Amino acid sequence: MKKISISPPVAAVLLAVILFIFSGFLPNSFGTNTQVAISQAVNIIRLSVFLGIIAAGQTLVIISGGEGIDLSAGAVVTLSAILTWTIVLGKDERVLPALVVVLLVGALVGLINGAGIIFLKISPFVMTLGMSGVITGLVIIVNHGNAPGRLAPIMTRVIARPLFLGIPGAIIIYVFFAALMWIILERSTFGKNLFAIGVNRVTAKLSGVNVTRMVLATYALAGALAAFGGFMVVGNTQVVFLNLGAPFLFPSIAAVAVGGTLLSGGKGSYFGSMAGALVLILISSVLTTMQMIDAVRQMVLGATLLIIISIYGRQRGFRQ
Amino acid sequence: MTTSLSAQNIVKRYGGVVALSDGNLDVHSGEVLALIGANGSGKSTLTKVINGVVVLDGGQLLLDDKPINFDSPQAAKRMGIGTVFQELSLVPKMTVAENIWLAREPLRSGIFVDAKEIKTRTKNLLHLFEGTYRAAMHSDVPVSTLPPDELQIVEILKAISFNPNIIILDEATASLDNRQVQRLFDLVRQWKADGKAIIFVSHRMEEIFRIADRYTVLRNGKTVDSGDMKDITEKELVNRMVGKDTVYSLSRTDHQEKGEGPKPVRLAVENLQTRVLKGVGLAVHEGELLGLGGLKGQGQRDLLLALFGDIPYEGKVTVNGKEVNFPHPKNAIRESIALVPGDRSREGLLSIRSILENLMLPSWTNYGFPLRMRRSYEDGNRVASDLNLVMRNLSDPVNSLSGGNAQKVIIGKWLLKKPKILLLDDPTKGVDVGTKGEFYRLLQQLCSEGTSIIFHSSDDEELIGLCDRILVMFEGKIRAELAGANITKAKLVAASMGASEESLA
Repeated sequence: MKKISISPPVAAVLLAVILFIFSGFLPNSFGTNTQVAISQAVNIIRLSVFLGIIAAGQTLVIISGGEGIDLSAGAVVTLSAILTWTIVLGKDERVLPALVVVLLVGALVGLINGAGIIFLKISPFVMTLGMSGVITGLVIIVNHGNAPGRLAPIMTRVIARPLFLGIPGAIIIYVFFAALMWIILERSTFGKNLFAIGVNRVTAKLSGVNVTRMVLATYALAGALAAFGGFMVVGNTQVVFLNLGAPFLFPSIAAVAVGGTLLSGGKGSYFGSMAGALVLILISSVLTTMQMIDAVRQMVLGATLLIIISIYGRQRGFRQ
Repeated sequence: MTTSLSAQNIVKRYGGVVALSDGNLDVHSGEVLALIGANGSGKSTLTKVINGVVVLDGGQLLLDDKPINFDSPQAAKRMGIGTVFQELSLVPKMTVAENIWLAREPLRSGIFVDAKEIKTRTKNLLHLFEGTYRAAMHSDVPVSTLPPDELQIVEILKAISFNPNIIILDEATASLDNRQVQRLFDLVRQWKADGKAIIFVSHRMEEIFRIADRYTVLRNGKTVDSGDMKDITEKELVNRMVGKDTVYSLSRTDHQEKGEGPKPVRLAVENLQTRVLKGVGLAVHEGELLGLGGLKGQGQRDLLLALFGDIPYEGKVTVNGKEVNFPHPKNAIRESIALVPGDRSREGLLSIRSILENLMLPSWTNYGFPLRMRRSYEDGNRVASDLNLVMRNLSDPVNSLSGGNAQKVIIGKWLLKKPKILLLDDPTKGVDVGTKGEFYRLLQQLCSEGTSIIFHSSDDEELIGLCDRILVMFEGKIRAELAGANITKAKLVAASMGASEESLA
């Protein structure tokens, strides 16, 4: 008997579509009005962009194995948003320099994470959790949470508003970003070596892969990607506050898991994480439409995660 | 009290492989029986049947003339059979005392572990080896901090802590120094006097003659001879282990007849030292297939890993006349060196990744950016068909392949790099006969194309059939070099056991 097998990213996309159609039948929703439905869909996708970008770095470190995880992603998002805010000061010509600075700062934070993990043999969980605390503390000490600054008009125009044929700029950036991530993971030596160290670091080393350098590079890249996420988030929210990044942390891990990336490393895709981000945003939007209280939303989100991941676990069990 | 153990016509199969077809031995109170055999003769299987680690498929074990059956090492222990295991059975994070009394801690009121009692008893046991270990070793240190010889002592004490009547020493002396061996042998004599029966397995010929009263020789899974040690010489014993020098016509195409002068040296090693290696020197010529023999764990693995840059070493290594010291395997790969490691799944494969990615892992940098996937598929398919790889598709996961085919993938990934020096760590282990034949042809073809190969194998026949020259390793050193007419199984086995010079002559 031929087993029907659906890959996790496809399953996540299907789930998102079903959820979306279901949400249409809720009271006060779009119902049969296609025009409203489309704009609602675009809006949901736009909202998933920010979580999706923050989940990109998370995807890389989780694929790299060795219990890889980046718990500093939320703090880096906040740090990067505040840096962008204070550097740009409302001037368009300062946007690019600000982007370069935040990417470098993010990469540096990631590099320190990687160094602690590979040289001091601190577990990624502890190392990145500690780093998260350090960054959050730094941000508080430096600006007490009220940073003087302002966004540049161009950021608002490109990130938060429709840019081309009514499509929000954020989505257009997301498409290019996804293509870049695909090339990094699937069409570069770095990506191939990343999967290799995720599966088996002894084999990787004995095949000439410099595991130390790969781990450093992966965490540095993950830090830079989280910083890019912070840059995008501030472009959307147009304000900064101390708790800006933290709510993205656990959803970014959940998105990777829902997207079918093995939490033990060595297997996964960025498309999966994008689909995962979409599912998470949709669930929370449906629950909001249904006017659920926050506690119920948390419960439903948690339960959905458990169900989805246990289904993936069963599939793997069948295959082996 | 007296005791006796008898194993009669023991049969043990692992899957389709018969490890033991007719294993026999008898051991009685007050004697030491040496159990002797070459690689793969079945001696470790026979000890495992006796101590309950594996369950026999046929035959009978008799203890004091009564048939016994057990299905676990614990059951064997309850019958008074204690084993000092070759692969140590200690828990690294637990202390010496905890390890010795694991799962049978002395109890107070039947509930609480009696810590004081444990300490006293451990002290008494340690007293047996008093003076041969460091002062830093006592009952409360975790065993992970101990050097190999002290670990071995703890393992020995653990085995005798429940006062067994029959003691199996499986390579128990391998990591002990002379003083410690001497102490162990004093203890063995004491045990003999107490009426215990001892089975002694060792790869050191000298020790066998020093301590054993009788011997039993296994060959190809059968007991072929038993007798008193005083009636036999070292040379005769080796002959028993080898049997008639099997006329072995693998595919030996009489390499000697090529008649060309000596080829230049491609890889030279002088006084190589690691934790395991005690000064190894060798030279491999262009197009040479150099065999690396000896019993398991005599430093073959360390030698290959050191040459490949995976473990640090002291000593001088030259490749094509240039001195090198590779800090990382990637530097060795750059010098066209390749390694097929000994543990296929742990060191050679990326289990859940595709066959293609396994083949391409060291080569991706040759495919540009973005990677030219079509070309990588073409190259992968070419190597797969060269190696006659049985698979459906290059994108299938590598763990869908059989053992022999998975090994072909590991070799294939290096063929793509066209290595000048190929290091092989027991590559035919667990590979079917047909695939072995293909390997032999491949190795000979590579040599004729000028590749230099160092080929370690635990299969003596394979070495004898394939190699022009064999280095035999014994305890971290090269014990003997066999070449031309000197390549006989008897000499290989004698050198593997560290036999004295005259039995090698």
